[in-house]
Amino acid sequence: MPKYIKTLIWVLLFTSALTFQVNAQSFTDINELIEKAKEYNGEEVTIQGEVIGESMKRGNYSWININDGTNAIGIWLDSDIAEEILFYGNYKCKGDTVKITGIFNRACKEHGGETDLHSSSLEIVKNGYEVKDQISPVKIIIAVILTILTLELMLILVKVIKNRRL
Amino acid sequence: MAGLKHRQNGIEIISYYTGYIVLIVASLMTIPIITSLLFFEWNPMLDFIISDAIAFILGILMIMYGMRSKERNHDIQWKHGFVIASLSWIVLTVLCAIPYMLSGHSLSFVDACFDVMSGFTTTGLALTQDLDHISIGLNMWRHILTFIGGQGMVVLTLTFLGKEMGGAFKMYVGEGKDIELVPNVKGTARQIWKISMIYLIIGTIVLWIVGMSIGLKPVSAFLHALFIFASSWSTGGFAPNSQNIMYYHSIMFETVSMVIFILGSLNFGIHYAIWQGKRKEIVKNIEIQSFLVTSFVACMLALAGLAKLDVYPNAIAGFRRVIFNVISAHTTTGFGSIYARQFALEWGDFGILIMVVAMLIGGSACSTAGGFKGLRVGIVFKGLIMDVKKLLLPERSMNVYKYHHLKDRVLDDTVIKSSAIIIICYIVTFTTGTILGTFYGYPISASAFESASVTGNVGLSIGVTTSSMPTAMKLFYIIAMYLGRLEFLSVFALIGYFLGGVKKACQNILKH
Repeated sequence: MPKYIKTLIWVLLFTSALTFQVNAQSFTDINELIEKAKEYNGEEVTIQGEVIGESMKRGNYSWININDGTNAIGIWLDSDIAEEILFYGNYKCKGDTVKITGIFNRACKEHGGETDLHSSSLEIVKNGYEVKDQISPVKIIIAVILTILTLELMLILVKVIKNRRL
Repeated sequence: MAGLKHRQNGIEIISYYTGYIVLIVASLMTIPIITSLLFFEWNPMLDFIISDAIAFILGILMIMYGMRSKERNHDIQWKHGFVIASLSWIVLTVLCAIPYMLSGHSLSFVDACFDVMSGFTTTGLALTQDLDHISIGLNMWRHILTFIGGQGMVVLTLTFLGKEMGGAFKMYVGEGKDIELVPNVKGTARQIWKISMIYLIIGTIVLWIVGMSIGLKPVSAFLHALFIFASSWSTGGFAPNSQNIMYYHSIMFETVSMVIFILGSLNFGIHYAIWQGKRKEIVKNIEIQSFLVTSFVACMLALAGLAKLDVYPNAIAGFRRVIFNVISAHTTTGFGSIYARQFALEWGDFGILIMVVAMLIGGSACSTAGGFKGLRVGIVFKGLIMDVKKLLLPERSMNVYKYHHLKDRVLDDTVIKSSAIIIICYIVTFTTGTILGTFYGYPISASAFESASVTGNVGLSIGVTTSSMPTAMKLFYIIAMYLGRLEFLSVFALIGYFLGGVKKACQNILKH
């Protein structure tokens, strides 16, 4: 009997590992889309990455840009869906991590030959947050010392130039 | 002994003027300091204060060391002018790389120097990591570098320090510029900045309005407008986000920036002549004629080649993806409206070849652009026609051949020879870069594309330029950008001066 239980546990572990593997491959890297653009052209794909910059509203639709660490791509989506995004990545913010499914276009007819993705669904996988500036005290001390030194040297230079003119 | 003293004087002169150039460029760091302060970016602000102080200290020490030469009223010779121009570019590259390094967005100091040289030379290739998360202060600095690089650091210094800069013309020529808009070089430097600043105001306002109309928030639209103008006008190619010009998804934004970079690639002399009411210059000038012919041919060939491969679906796509990129390459701007790898994967060998040629030809002389320059291409082409005509005409006939560049000039063998020499220097650098690329295992077309891009100070990439590429290639690309921008002679003068010093030092040691 314990043998059966052991086997059952192994089978469960094996299948869950497989599930993890499937999860890991449930979205495509942006770089792969570009590298195999002809293959993916017109296909429905899913990408996952950080929303960066800001949304650009164009009527009922908006442009957002997603960076997944391999590259960045423009997403054309309904403005109402874009409003769900709260954080856009920049120096002060880590943007929302979103999973987007849509049609990939190698050279979009609607958008002047752009390589883009027309989104049909958006899911916020991880909320973004504000990044706090950690100021190093060492940096402050170095900055103060160097500034004082610079001012001293400038005064000396001005004196030397004045003396030279006299 | 007299020779040694003479050399000592020379070093003092070089140190004195280089120090002033360092001071002026260092003072520009106050702009990113204020920007960081306004946007509450404390870490970048400290980075710039530290970098600024280091640059100021070095600049002051250099001036103090060289002050004796000023007291003795030593004249600046041509070699000094050339060495000052080329040395100040190296010193400033190292100093201006410090904020990059402190920001943590550069993986190594070589990468930081690569980005600064890329900015100064208006190339536009970047190794900066995580561009989408860099501070506004650092972005401001990147675009200031490319903007002042376009006009030239010596030109900037001459604008502010007329009195202190004796022998200014020799330094001005050393920076690869030779046009005289007004009779004195300091006035010319001021005119160059006047032209650039007027365009800066107009261009930024237009891009700001376009930016807001495409959905950017007002403050963000202003910053994007300022950055894209600085990059376009200086034919630089930097952009605040990793997607470059593709970030905006707008034909209007692309078109306005294209107009600006075409204007930026024109000779300052042409701008000045047109401002002075000499509108015929647009039709008569050899550089404009050369640019129109080569850019038209390049665009048509690229369109035909890509149509054959069925890469883009319609005419608008052709304009936004083909003409934009070809003109961007030809003006040596480097804004890319497609992904770097798409050149390699979709454009085919013919498309790449067209881009390589366009990048090598480049924009106008005495402009913000790089490459051989349209003037030289026009002169060599006219020289070829002149030689053919001479062969066909009777031996006794004495014809004077002319070309028009701001005024009618005689086309003689000396002009043709000097143009051809510079073109040969560019080709040698390009070929060396291509060989180096293939040595490290990159395909020949990719190596040639990237080599043309760095030699011509363009900034478009086919995917070779990454922080993981071999250090030897990074260093070669830095040198190629530097050589291309200063048009070789100043750098050769610096090398000659350095080697001459080493030789004399060795001789003295042997004598003792």
